[in-house]
Amino acid sequence: MTKMMPSLVMIAVTAALMGCNQSEAQDPKVTINKNPYPSTYQALPSKKTIIKNATVLTGTGERIENADLIIIDGKISAVGQNLVADDATVIDAKGKWVTPGIIDVHSHLGVYPSPNAESHNDGNEMTNPVTAEVWAEHSVWPQDPGFNRAREGGVTTMQILPGSANLIGGRGVTLKNIPSESMQGMKFPDAPYGLKMACGENPKSLYGGREISPMTRMGNMAGYRQAFIEATEYKRAWDKYEADYTAGKNVIAPKRDLTLDTLKGVLEGEILIHNHCYKAEEMVMMIDLGKEFNYHSGTFHHAIEAYKIADTLAENGNCAAMWPDWWGFKLEAYDMVLENVAIVDAVKNSCAVVHSDSPVTIQRLNQESAKIMHNANANGFNYTEEQVISWITTNAAKSLGIADKTGSLEVGKNADVVIWNVNPFSVYAKAEQVFIDGAKVFDDKDARYQAQSDFLLGQE
Amino acid sequence: MKRMTKTLLALSMASAILGTSGLALAESFAITNATVHTATEQGVLENAVVVVKDGIITAVNTANSLAAYEVDKVIDAKGGVVTPGFIGSMNILGLVEISAVTESGDAQDKKADITFDPSYAYNPKASSIAFTRKGGITRNVVTSGGGEDIFAGQTFVIDLTGGWDSVKQTNTAVFVELGANHEGSRATYLQQLVTQLEKAQKSLEKTAKGKKSKDNEDAEPEAADEIINQLLAGEKPLIVAADRASDMLAVLKIKQRFKLNVIFVGAADAVLIADEIAKANVPVIIDAMRNLPESFDSLHNDLSNAGKLNAAGVKVILSNIGDSHNVYSLRYSAGNAVANGMDYNAALASMTANVADVFNIDSGRIAEGKVADIVIWNGDPFEYSSHVVKMYIDGKEQSTQSRQDKLRARYTTPSDLPRAYTK
Repeated sequence: MTKMMPSLVMIAVTAALMGCNQSEAQDPKVTINKNPYPSTYQALPSKKTIIKNATVLTGTGERIENADLIIIDGKISAVGQNLVADDATVIDAKGKWVTPGIIDVHSHLGVYPSPNAESHNDGNEMTNPVTAEVWAEHSVWPQDPGFNRAREGGVTTMQILPGSANLIGGRGVTLKNIPSESMQGMKFPDAPYGLKMACGENPKSLYGGREISPMTRMGNMAGYRQAFIEATEYKRAWDKYEADYTAGKNVIAPKRDLTLDTLKGVLEGEILIHNHCYKAEEMVMMIDLGKEFNYHSGTFHHAIEAYKIADTLAENGNCAAMWPDWWGFKLEAYDMVLENVAIVDAVKNSCAVVHSDSPVTIQRLNQESAKIMHNANANGFNYTEEQVISWITTNAAKSLGIADKTGSLEVGKNADVVIWNVNPFSVYAKAEQVFIDGAKVFDDKDARYQAQSDFLLGQE
Repeated sequence: MKRMTKTLLALSMASAILGTSGLALAESFAITNATVHTATEQGVLENAVVVVKDGIITAVNTANSLAAYEVDKVIDAKGGVVTPGFIGSMNILGLVEISAVTESGDAQDKKADITFDPSYAYNPKASSIAFTRKGGITRNVVTSGGGEDIFAGQTFVIDLTGGWDSVKQTNTAVFVELGANHEGSRATYLQQLVTQLEKAQKSLEKTAKGKKSKDNEDAEPEAADEIINQLLAGEKPLIVAADRASDMLAVLKIKQRFKLNVIFVGAADAVLIADEIAKANVPVIIDAMRNLPESFDSLHNDLSNAGKLNAAGVKVILSNIGDSHNVYSLRYSAGNAVANGMDYNAALASMTANVADVFNIDSGRIAEGKVADIVIWNGDPFEYSSHVVKMYIDGKEQSTQSRQDKLRARYTTPSDLPRAYTK
């Protein structure tokens, strides 16, 4: 027996070195389920509808006066003047304005819901600077009354993001603003996941205060780089497993890592970056970080200083999501200009987005855009409503990777539509009717279409 | 000074002759060709003239009834809108440069109590001041951010000139914060308030009867006691922050018992007891944009609340409560209040005449004798499409340019050199 040992060891070693025997039967292939919490969203019942005589802003830069819009089977069927739709429900929108449903790329509805209570603080996993393993969708409380208020402001789609405490805060999820008992019932079918990253003060001050890295902005960069180095190795291991298995070898799958699953998704281009990043120099750094690890640096959120690097953002295909006028709450939010969005938008191939990050202003993204348009026009720009609407519709859809489905009133797109009482960029504008996939989900004159959260029901 | 002074010169003549005389600071001027929102019973005057002399409004009239005034300068409003300068309130404007840079913030102090006077910390050169002028704000009631005591401190009034003498009135009201108590019961807050008022009242009664206690025979009253005495005498308003209706009702009882001059701030659920508040003649300072149930104290927040309170007869003040950097946006709150049912003129008064009345400020109306805080707009002052064309504080023209304009200009002006050379 003892004599045989060396040879047996040799065989084992050889097998290990050679990988698996081609002729050996393969174990079942290990695959990662990329969609374990799938959407169960179903459009509400819709009727064939024609909205007539409105001023229509298509979201693609076009404005059509006295226009009609036809909705069939939840899709935009036609937009133009003097349309005819037999047997359709007719909505006379004379004097009113029609736009695509509003999209907010940055919301914490459901994860930081109302009422604000410790039990409801579910948006920031402040336990580690890199928490790519957490998914905002697992925190969403669908009964947040803020969803209903946002719908009453014309918001039909929004991305719910984790907070900005961490360098890499976790996955965001895109939801349709439809009342549901579950997150899955709101989940936008086939929308890509987002990954929340954060530059600057928040991560470094939180973890620096605990005397752990990152304590500085250079520590921030080291943290992202370390995470993507690990992700690159993880991806390589899985790619090799895939290749070997495909080649017929019986190989052992790499050990699953929930954090690196998400970062691998970024490297594969399946998960889009949504980066809280205020300052010009930091955004430029984050663009290079993406190039270093071969992923796209995505959308910069709260990009207060985007106007300083508008050309760079456009050249690199980055969207910038901005407020009109928030400033002064942090040093990195000091250099606000009211025309930021307008300056970013003025560059060719730009992608300027107006976002809320607030359960209050999400209700008035039209008015937030109006502030920018009018301040810009008083200072040398010449923006029109048909251009500005793209900041909260088409460009937002592009940022979220859903521009093929929603964000504009083009034939074949989802019929996410808002009818406004007046010019939506007026302080007096109110969404009168809101449609998601052709179904009426809000009507300010019909209580049957005014959803109320369980939380507020019966409160005296 | 307030008397109208007639002259042989017609207004247009005055403009032609004196407008080119090179006077940099007109001591008197007339604004013509304006739609004037007076915030008085006069309401809105079309094609009106406003005359200002030595910082005071000396005449307001329609052009037709006007012969002529002796003025140094005529300002043609070109059909624009004239309003009183707006008055912000219950914010911490000028007490902080960057909220997260703690050493730049002076609104709060752990030890702040009823004597805390944050006006000592006011910085007229804070970058938020010039920015706030963009919103047509000419005067402002600044409040303390408070500390651990239920009494947060006292309010003061500033003008928005950014001048070294901007602080106009100090210790104008006492601010007390009631409502939800994160470390215990809200009852203790109300009880503390009652106890302090009772103690002061008893002391005053003893003094009145000449029964000074031996211990205090020679002692001067403490500063805190004096302030409480001013509250009891109704000389100084007590601004009460509370959201839940039951808290406000409790305060109304305290008001009645001690004959206090009470103002509510916050007042999310005031709409539930609007009649009681109106009957008690208590003004309400609210943020018209609150419409979420942020806490169990504010389940009835709604965009229609400002209009409903006004309709119930409550004197409403609109405010960006607690704000520091975006007080400028107050006029948009008024627009949204109107969009949600508030009477337009009432909304205007809620940022002008009502604030002036409640805080004893001598501006807030376009009326003879009032301090000339005036804004000329190119349209509806609540609309995004409108902006300030000219602004006057105490009759002196103010700029609405700020650091933000410099930054915009730097990054939109073509240059071969790095931007740092564009100034």
